[in-house]
Amino acid sequence: MHDDIDFDQILNQYRSDPFEYIDVRTSHTGLLQFRAKEEDVVEGVTGEWQHIKGTLLFELERERNIKPVHSSVIGVVSSIERSLEGKFVEAGETVMTIRHPLKKREIIERILKNVLSIFPAPERAKYFFAMDIQSRIDKHGQRSISIKPNDEILTMSLMKRDTPVSYQGAPGIIHSVYFEPGQTIDQGQPLLGICSEDTLPLIQKIIARVKAEWD
Amino acid sequence: MKDRVLIANRGEIAIRIMRACKELGLDYVIVYTDADQDSQHVHLAMEDQDGRKRAWRVASYTDPNDILAVADHTGCTAIHPGYGFFSEDYRFARRVTIRDRPLTFIGPNWEVIKSLGDKINTKRVANRLGIPTIPGTDGPIYNEMEAEEVATQLLDNQQQQKIKNPSILVKAAAGGGGMGIEEVFRIEQLRRVYRQVQNYAKRQFGDGGVLIEQCLRDYNHLEVQLVCSRHGERLHFGTRNCTIQSTGRQKRLEAAPGFDVSCFTYDFDAPKVLRQIVDYSLKLADHVNYDNVGTWEWIVARNGTPYLLEVNTRIQVENDVSARISYLHNKQPNLLREQIRLALGDTMGYDQKSIDFRGSSIELRLVAEDTNRGFAPWIGTISQFSFPQEDWAAVYTHVPFDRAYTIPSEYDPNLALVLVWGDDMTMAKNRARQFLDGTVIEGHNNHGEAIMTNIPYLRGNLERLLTF
Repeated sequence: MHDDIDFDQILNQYRSDPFEYIDVRTSHTGLLQFRAKEEDVVEGVTGEWQHIKGTLLFELERERNIKPVHSSVIGVVSSIERSLEGKFVEAGETVMTIRHPLKKREIIERILKNVLSIFPAPERAKYFFAMDIQSRIDKHGQRSISIKPNDEILTMSLMKRDTPVSYQGAPGIIHSVYFEPGQTIDQGQPLLGICSEDTLPLIQKIIARVKAEWD
Repeated sequence: MKDRVLIANRGEIAIRIMRACKELGLDYVIVYTDADQDSQHVHLAMEDQDGRKRAWRVASYTDPNDILAVADHTGCTAIHPGYGFFSEDYRFARRVTIRDRPLTFIGPNWEVIKSLGDKINTKRVANRLGIPTIPGTDGPIYNEMEAEEVATQLLDNQQQQKIKNPSILVKAAAGGGGMGIEEVFRIEQLRRVYRQVQNYAKRQFGDGGVLIEQCLRDYNHLEVQLVCSRHGERLHFGTRNCTIQSTGRQKRLEAAPGFDVSCFTYDFDAPKVLRQIVDYSLKLADHVNYDNVGTWEWIVARNGTPYLLEVNTRIQVENDVSARISYLHNKQPNLLREQIRLALGDTMGYDQKSIDFRGSSIELRLVAEDTNRGFAPWIGTISQFSFPQEDWAAVYTHVPFDRAYTIPSEYDPNLALVLVWGDDMTMAKNRARQFLDGTVIEGHNNHGEAIMTNIPYLRGNLERLLTF
């Protein structure tokens, strides 16, 4: 069904602009002091347990408590809102943009988003895996979880109520997860990418092709 | 220095506080979250800039660091917590008032919040003062034998009073919000249930203490509105009845006064019971040196026996139901204005005799919900929102009238509070019906289905008001 995918065109697109531009926002209010500058190369979180912090980007001070904010991704600072330096900023303010070079794995994920069966968010809400699914993911990893229509896979939390969400779509395995538990997801945004049995050859083909052709 | 109030809340109450501040000549600042950017409370504050930024986006309404940072940055001198969120959090109240840059917490002092926020402590203090509380323990039980003794006595007492299907409730002492509560009908069931609740309490709250109380079924839920100052003045603004609630124990229809003989033939002297609960409430308030607005919640059994349930140490959603039947110098007071003024140190300026109670009032809480499906919240976008303009009604809402509004899924789908009043309860009910008939709320959800509101439920329950 996806045999008409033009791999050359897709890969050329990524070759011409192999970056993602990530806006860095303030997590809360406070006095802002930048600690990185334009064109600085920044490191992301690293380490076996993601325990090594990325490059310090800026600090937010509230009630004499200083909160350092580190880069979560590798890249280059492409722009900074210099006008905010030393100012009191609101929560959610965009303060800088990082140009992040896409890795092979990220490109594969992006291409797969067009191939996998996407299970979208039924409402704008916070989502969590159903307890049973979560414990199976913890034990065996998401790609070992097969789901079929009417399986209770998620809990949707909105307006102080938790509602079970049943899967609707072709049977398959959970290949990709596009949400963070507890994060608000807009209605229609992808939650899961499901790989059905008949898409498996295509997915393997995509992975092999990107691996072979991407430096 | 003139006070500037930070409003640490959202929706309609933020708008009411905003207006009260302006009427008192006080400046204000609001906070809002990303999800609330289309709320009318944000738009009104944004429009009211006159050179000052009055609306600040924060991470959450429950992030005290953000709220205090905005308060400091904007030079606020006081914080109004509204209802919910931080309104009954004594730690927050304490932190606001005891810091390098102290602010006024618009509410009772933190020690009073702490003392009355603990239901067991409230019950114990009330019992010491001879104020009736729900029969049962006034402290956690850790011993099975003691639990059985109390349970036996409570079941026997109910049998002696010829109560049908007597039962008791076994509750986790550290619990709340209806969690960890089991009903016991026969003493043989007690030990098993006791152990079950004790285990649950240990697991959930780290404390195996258990409370045992008589289970009351046939009752009305009443409230007494108190207004007190920092100068030892304590007055009441009457009673209200909040019995009609959703399955999740959320109030939907309230009326004042608390009982009305035109609605029901009570088995007791209703005015006397109302006087009793007001007197008891004031007695407890005096004892704890209560110093701002507060609500004393009561359960009144069908035979007229009142039991103190708890004290809400904050302004309540429904405060205006009481205000609409209370006249100060022939005008209905604004209790939010009174709350702010008194918290900032004013004296009352009037006494109990100055408050003239007359007429009846009803509050209708308009909510987007499916009342036939367990009051399930409705999510979607409101496209039409209009109410009749009457001089016997008031509407408090954060839903804009001039543009479409998507209900944020982060909060309850409350749409508006409607207050109607009249010379008597019959008139108030008729006006409530008339008002609901003239209300237009249109909208659709993501699937194109029309909005569901609780208007039919409200209309259908008006006759149930103030009855058993």
